[in-house]
Amino acid sequence: MPALMELLGMTQQQASHIYAVFRQDTKNDPHVHVGEVHATDAEMALVLAKEQFARRDLCVNLWAVPMSAIAATAYDDADIFEPSTDKSYRFGGSYREQQRVMRTKRRDQR
Amino acid sequence: MSLAQSPLGRRDDLRAAFGGYLLALADDELVLGHRHSEWTGFAPDIESDVALSSVAQEEIGHARLFYERAGDLLGGTPDDLAYGRAPDGFRNAVLVERPNGDWGFTIVRMFLYDRADAVRLDALAGGPVEPLADLAKTLRREEKYHLLYGEQWLRRLAGASGSSKARVQEALDSAWVEAESLFDPVDGHEGLVAAGVIPTAPDAQRAMWSGQVDVILEAIGLRVPEGRRLPKGRPGGVDGHVRDLNGRAGRHTADLRILLEEMTSVWRTEPGAKW
Repeated sequence: MPALMELLGMTQQQASHIYAVFRQDTKNDPHVHVGEVHATDAEMALVLAKEQFARRDLCVNLWAVPMSAIAATAYDDADIFEPSTDKSYRFGGSYREQQRVMRTKRRDQR
Repeated sequence: MSLAQSPLGRRDDLRAAFGGYLLALADDELVLGHRHSEWTGFAPDIESDVALSSVAQEEIGHARLFYERAGDLLGGTPDDLAYGRAPDGFRNAVLVERPNGDWGFTIVRMFLYDRADAVRLDALAGGPVEPLADLAKTLRREEKYHLLYGEQWLRRLAGASGSSKARVQEALDSAWVEAESLFDPVDGHEGLVAAGVIPTAPDAQRAMWSGQVDVILEAIGLRVPEGRRLPKGRPGGVDGHVRDLNGRAGRHTADLRILLEEMTSVWRTEPGAKW
């Protein structure tokens, strides 16, 4: 698996100042990747991320992860996600709909 | 309960001083909020740009809440008070009207100011004027982030190589005496302290601020500047430029007039218009 920064054509130097930000809407929600910030270190990344990604909508927690720590699949290998035969019997469309409904409920309860 | 109906807010003998103190708090927040907003689009990186713009909005929002309470005592809407007064009617400290200069000065000023603001909000939050104590507690939630932002940036600037540390030290030296003046009294301040409206005297608040600020500055390798060594009350012109200035008494620099001309230009085209 390549490092994400290699995939994006970044040097270690460039990637060391970029932090991926994950936000959690409620304590029962997963942390979701919402973007990146430039910062000198992780602590500053969180300070900046608060205004970039938490000012328009309530959230309860943020993670900042150095870009250099993330491994990624290669887009050239994207065919690993393509089924060779019909897999509609195990696609989880209804799961996603259920998640959407549950998340709205959890937010209302907060 | 509105401020004007609270036991201390009803006292006629305190009204002018109480209103003046609330104006000083509001004016500090409004003028510094406006200075912060001048960085929108120009900060060193887009993250800091967005963050400082949010801080600016919050400070101006706090100013509005203090103007409402000042208006309870003195009359006038927040817009009247923010836009309708001449520069010599403003009670903000001179420190906050100084132009932004470089990023180093902006961060140093923010750090010094927000620490001072925290000290006076803590005092009000523990005070006997219930509507004001409630307000102070509410504002402290947002101020917590302002403190964090200023201090974390200051740590980075002081810890960076090259000219960065020298520039923040220079900014600190130039801002220090005017930062101490954040605690200068308004007209009638002594009466407010005696009556308990403000639970701690200006000198005690300044000492508390200085204690907190010194520890942080020393920890990050900055030299704490010499304070003014003067009888209480008046800034004495340590480096020449503060000689006759006293924001709490309405004596400001030309920079405030220029700031207000810009800030009020839309309002003045049609005073009282509803938007």
